[in-house]
Amino acid sequence: MAVCVAVIGKDNAPKYVSCLNPNMELDFHYKVHNALDVVEEKMSANGKASGDIRELYLGLLNSTDDHKIFGYVTNTKIKFVIVTESANTSLRDNEVRMMFRRLHSVYADVVCNPFYNPSEPISSKAFNETVRNMMAGNL
Amino acid sequence: MSRQTSRLDAKKVNSELFTLTYGALVTQLIKDVDNVDDVNKQLERMGYNIGVRLIEDFLARSGSGKCYDFRDTSEKIQLATRMYLGVSPTISNWSPSGDEFSLVMDSNPITDFVELPDSHMGLKYSNMLLGVIRGSCEMVQLEVSCWFAQDQLKGDNTTEIRVKLLRKLEDSVPAGED
Repeated sequence: MAVCVAVIGKDNAPKYVSCLNPNMELDFHYKVHNALDVVEEKMSANGKASGDIRELYLGLLNSTDDHKIFGYVTNTKIKFVIVTESANTSLRDNEVRMMFRRLHSVYADVVCNPFYNPSEPISSKAFNETVRNMMAGNL
Repeated sequence: MSRQTSRLDAKKVNSELFTLTYGALVTQLIKDVDNVDDVNKQLERMGYNIGVRLIEDFLARSGSGKCYDFRDTSEKIQLATRMYLGVSPTISNWSPSGDEFSLVMDSNPITDFVELPDSHMGLKYSNMLLGVIRGSCEMVQLEVSCWFAQDQLKGDNTTEIRVKLLRKLEDSVPAGED
């Protein structure tokens, strides 16, 4: 259901970007990078408003003619960004939340791998497969 | 750890700590010793040291007596794996002479979350388990040799450890004493 999934590290460097359509990859890199500004804004707004209570799911960050961008930030400042097609109106908020929760869970598995260095990009096959399945819509 | 079904099961929390500790141990060994074969040997030696001590704890807890034959021994090893690792392996592939068998595990708790990078394909990640089996059998006067027939980290469906009885050790006088 998603067309692009990205994981960005706490220093705002991309850790993992995966797109359904390889031709649009550069395009999605731009979109995700732009969405980071909105993420920062939401993170600082939330922090001031409710003190310590911050929700991980950030909701709809940006909307263009053909794409919608959703964001999710973890307590360790790792950002997950999902890009979906605007034409896909059947995508409910709940479903996007579930996708992010699953992403977070798989990410935690990757981090637990003793051979994974947190500063490197993610190259885990299991992570790749789960993300591909999510993008294809097989929850 | 974020899990969909996160029950606060004390035993499960401890096993994740154990898994992470073992992972940290292996990566540190790889950093200290560049050669993958040396890492394998070190892991096996560490396992051996654990095994010679673990056997006492096992015998105290299970209260089992002497084994009648090697099949009995295989059952005890199966029981010990269940006690210490929490997995139930199956015993299969007995050799015709009855001195070699396979311990087949569907899941290996120390390799949860682990993916071997391509640069370390020769690494026997769970080599410590082989050392534990060898060490504990040696303390009950059995010399065994074990190796991995299948390894889930290398792409096989299950983890299979082959254990072969080499000989029964006679009570020999330790070297250096008369």
